[in-house]
Amino acid sequence: MADQTRVLLDDIDEPGLHTIEVYERLGGYQALRKALTTMEPDEIVAELQASGLRGRGGAGFSMGQKASFMPKGTMDKYLCCNADESEPGTFKDRLLMQKNPHRLIEGIVIAAVAAGANRAFIYIRGEYVLQADILNAAVAEARARGYVGANILGSGHDVDLVVHRGAGAYICGEETALLDSLEGKRGNPRLKPPFPANQGLFRGPTLINNVETLSNVPIVIAKGAEWFKQRGTEKSTGTKVVSVSGNVQRPGNYEIELGIPAREIVYGLAGGPPPGRKVKCWFPGGSSAPVLLEEDLDRPYSFESMAEAGSMLGSGAIIVVDDSVPIVSLALRVARFYRHESCGKCVPCREGTNWTVKMLERIDRGEATPMDIEILDQVQQNIMGNCLCVLGDSMAMPVRSMIAKFKDEFIAHNERAREAADRLAVGAGLSSEPVDAAA
Amino acid sequence: MPKPEPKLITFEIDGREVQAPEGMMLVDAARLGDVEIPFFCYEPKLGAPVGACRMCLVEIEGMPKLQTSCSTPVKDGMVVSTTSERVKQAQNAVVEFLLVNHPLDCPVCDKGGECPLQDISYGWGAGRSRFIEPKRHFEKPVALSPLIAIDRERCILCYRCVRFSQEIAEDYQLVFLERGDHTFVGTHDGHPYVAPFSGNIVELCPVGALTSQAYRFRARPWDIEDAGSICTLCPSQCNVKYTTRDDTRVLRVLARDNQGVDDGWLCDKGRFGYQAIHAPERVTQPLVRDGGALRPVSWERALSEAARALARAGGRSAAIVGGQATNEEGFLVQHLMREVLGSPHVDSRPSGVLDPAQARALARPDLTAAVPDIEWAGAVLVLDTELVDEMPILDLRVRKGVRRNGVRLVVATSRPSSLDPNARAVVRFTPGAGEAFLAALGAALGDGRGLDELAGRAGASPEAVRAAADALRDAGPVVVVWGERLSGGERGRQAVARLLDLARTLELAGTEGAGLLEVPRGTNARGLREVGCLPNLAPGLADAAAAGKSAGEIAAAVPEEISALLLVHADPLSSHPDRGAWERALDRAGSVIAFADFLTPGLEEHATVVFPSESEAEKDGTMTHPDGRVQRVRQAIARPPEVLPNWQVLAELCERIGKPAGVVSGPAVFERIVASVPFYEGLTLAELGGKGVRWQERDGAGRVPESTLPEGGLEEPPPLEAADLRLGTAPSLWSGPVVEHSPILRFLLADQRVELSVEDGERLGVSTGDEVAVTVGGASVRGVARLRSDVPPGSVFLVEGTQSENATALTNGRPRAVKVARAAREVTPA
Repeated sequence: MADQTRVLLDDIDEPGLHTIEVYERLGGYQALRKALTTMEPDEIVAELQASGLRGRGGAGFSMGQKASFMPKGTMDKYLCCNADESEPGTFKDRLLMQKNPHRLIEGIVIAAVAAGANRAFIYIRGEYVLQADILNAAVAEARARGYVGANILGSGHDVDLVVHRGAGAYICGEETALLDSLEGKRGNPRLKPPFPANQGLFRGPTLINNVETLSNVPIVIAKGAEWFKQRGTEKSTGTKVVSVSGNVQRPGNYEIELGIPAREIVYGLAGGPPPGRKVKCWFPGGSSAPVLLEEDLDRPYSFESMAEAGSMLGSGAIIVVDDSVPIVSLALRVARFYRHESCGKCVPCREGTNWTVKMLERIDRGEATPMDIEILDQVQQNIMGNCLCVLGDSMAMPVRSMIAKFKDEFIAHNERAREAADRLAVGAGLSSEPVDAAA
Repeated sequence: MPKPEPKLITFEIDGREVQAPEGMMLVDAARLGDVEIPFFCYEPKLGAPVGACRMCLVEIEGMPKLQTSCSTPVKDGMVVSTTSERVKQAQNAVVEFLLVNHPLDCPVCDKGGECPLQDISYGWGAGRSRFIEPKRHFEKPVALSPLIAIDRERCILCYRCVRFSQEIAEDYQLVFLERGDHTFVGTHDGHPYVAPFSGNIVELCPVGALTSQAYRFRARPWDIEDAGSICTLCPSQCNVKYTTRDDTRVLRVLARDNQGVDDGWLCDKGRFGYQAIHAPERVTQPLVRDGGALRPVSWERALSEAARALARAGGRSAAIVGGQATNEEGFLVQHLMREVLGSPHVDSRPSGVLDPAQARALARPDLTAAVPDIEWAGAVLVLDTELVDEMPILDLRVRKGVRRNGVRLVVATSRPSSLDPNARAVVRFTPGAGEAFLAALGAALGDGRGLDELAGRAGASPEAVRAAADALRDAGPVVVVWGERLSGGERGRQAVARLLDLARTLELAGTEGAGLLEVPRGTNARGLREVGCLPNLAPGLADAAAAGKSAGEIAAAVPEEISALLLVHADPLSSHPDRGAWERALDRAGSVIAFADFLTPGLEEHATVVFPSESEAEKDGTMTHPDGRVQRVRQAIARPPEVLPNWQVLAELCERIGKPAGVVSGPAVFERIVASVPFYEGLTLAELGGKGVRWQERDGAGRVPESTLPEGGLEEPPPLEAADLRLGTAPSLWSGPVVEHSPILRFLLADQRVELSVEDGERLGVSTGDEVAVTVGGASVRGVARLRSDVPPGSVFLVEGTQSENATALTNGRPRAVKVARAAREVTPA
């Protein structure tokens, strides 16, 4: 079995890590102290930029650069931690929040100070009840110790932190929908620009980062950008917690150094598919990533290499699909999810996801023609790039990749289903087709 | 926020160079180069773009993805394509997606023929459908309200109606429910969407999803014609177009979007009130009292009876002119009175005498704000008026200024205002104590001396007055939107003096974009004042040769000094204070000659001759907006056969009495007005055109009589007399004949309600819903009690202009202490 490179998950099995006593005993909040007592906000941003830390939520944008976009000057600025972990296949943030909430809080306070924000929110998905309770308790502990609130560690910096639970919508993980939801509105994405760094929560400049990204911040500050950069590849620095699920023998969260071959994760760590099964395809970054094939497992698992393969590392959730799964069922499962979660605001996503599901259902029932598979593909193209946010693309990209890579199977699936339906109809005396006695 | 100055830039679109103001949205800038970009959700009137429909995608050089042109400000040197293959594919795609769930029921859809979705599908769609799955279904159509039907299958979820409700009207009623392709427009709990401006969503809807219950299935676009005019139902004078059929019926009223007046919105009364034009109970032929009852007669008989009565009364005649009279009618009425009958008694103001010098000061061009100034002012003071009821469209303008440009709003009224939540400062003063409030505000803006004492006289909190002063001080240009109520009654003159003093303190006269804007009681109050329909003012705001009696004095002078009353679009019993005095006057007058479209109970009982009025859609003439914009009222449909133009009837009366007015047409009367009102100098109907002209912005403005703002000499406002409950009255948008006679609006008709503070309610043992009587000096008005937490204790409010139990029974222009008690429910005999 291959080894993990544990940085974020270093002390994850330490009993009581979620309490401030244990966290502090293991050196917790020292990075905050260092940042607040020895560094200027600009230096924190510079250090984050130098570390090459990229967003762990899906887009993979440089965390330091994003923080540097925040305007200077005195105004109400905000930091939002995106803990609405909803991408199918992704469950890494849950682990980080449940086991090590204080590292997240420490990261949030450092990042908030760096960005000049004095109000911070953790927007946590509604289903994460346990994790929200743990976070709330941890925030209370941190506040009692003076790590959160007014004049933190006597530095003159104020950061207030509120944990806010979502109400169960995937779209609220989209950063601008998250802001609307946090403001008490219907969680719909906003038009960009303005970008949140200019005009975000309550129209104030807002920095939005994922749980894992922010959890990395204390590590970068404590150990330095140089140390951090020693792990990973040039463009994908550091380690990544990868959620592996699907047809593998040991699903779960594994922390790896970015750039190791994907095969080491899928086979080495997660044990590969059950005996006798082969990897048919895999999602390298959650269900919205275009699927890759078995041979792509030899590619390095990094942001740049996955993009080169025509997919994306996304949130780092690997879903493995073995050869027992019909590709049409997989496409339908994905499409139904995004149709259900489409907010309905923009036309291509709202109507495109709905239409896609209906066509896939027809293929599954054997009622499609080869032309329909062409239309299905064109509908995906018509969605891609034309939507208000990325939700539409999140369905179109994987579905399109499945059509591209398994087109024959789509046609065969439809044929088989049609024949089966015909046989049933004949058996029930509903068909006028002559019955071949030999059949 | 100052109005931004646009700078021109050059960009390229589809190969042509186009100049446009920098920052203009690409979709609008394209139109300057005759390039049309299709869109559904974009509507600049609704505020920031939302980019929901994706119809307006274009390709911009240097940008990897297609961009929504509705949300991309144009920049110098930008190179844009709206016809590239990529753009075409995206346009085809969006049209195809839109039609996925849109029913193809155009042949039975009201929007068919004037439908953006149809037009865009033809223009930018692929012209074929590949969607063969079942479409989504909703129950259709259902009533969104008694005024609006919603067909959710047709809805393309463009966000317009929801944005209107959330961001323009701010009634926050319309929302999206459900998600994805299950999304639909509705209200919380399916409650009907009833709000003063709800009808605008019908006009905003780019498909046939929202239709007017009054217009549904009445006509197809090829049956109808548009006729531009203005709405004459309130001083907003919104620009409208009547949708007419066969030149005889008004089927619909739409907005005509005049930035300077209405910003493209209409209230529901203006939008649906046209039904009263075709009400069967309308007066459409001359009536004469015969044997105790009004009976239809020939024009000859009606004219000769009226002429005889007026000639007999001569100088003992008096005229009350209602706010809906045009400048032409007003001018002829005062001519008839002053020049033909030798009577100086003509009044168009229900609220009492306006001092001539003050009238001229208020008319100073540099002191009058224009409507759009509200939007860009530093601060707006809404004083003693409830805009949504008295000049509804300004309510939206104030909201827009606050929401989009950060205008500081100060609301100073007796009755809680619907604008309170938007205000930086709110002051409540005792009904009728506007003068004392202004004195207190003056003190707060000055050295603060005597503030507490003056605030006490206004019944207002000194802190609130101070907060109001803070919001107004150094705010930039201030617009004071003040209600005629302030200037009414016994101390109206002193209150206007205080108002002018405030104008001086805030330097309104010298400041661009600042000024006063009166919210009068009558639609054309300003025009009537300027053409000489006040007892002490001749045309052009000159002093009248002989000062006449004001409305209240006229009532008191019947029958001793006045024997004939001419009521032009007016029924003083419902519009004027002191109903008791008017009942006596009408009862004792020798003749009561009325121009009316409906027989109110007062006219039914007292009129001796009734001339049928033209409806607003049958009239030609001009009116003057409270901000000085002279606008044309244009005839849209034919008059009923027995209805004559009112100017003609007035001219005929002059002639029959023996002194012809010398006018042969409506435009000829306008020429006479222009010749008599110096500051209208040179104005022609052609110049007024479709959008009117503010006379202050013309050369003739210099010819308004000189007037200086009085300095000092202000009287101390009187102290508040001890009273248990003081009476305030407020008009309702939903009272009056138009609402009574438009079947679709009748459900909104205002009943008398008695608004009380919770404290007073508890003290008096009255709860919401109780029938109560409000009594003073032997007169009493009954209504249903409504306890409101935002009504200040000590005040009680009644509705003006209700069909029965009108508040005018209790008002007399002076502060009134009233008693409120639970009334035994009247048992109506079976």
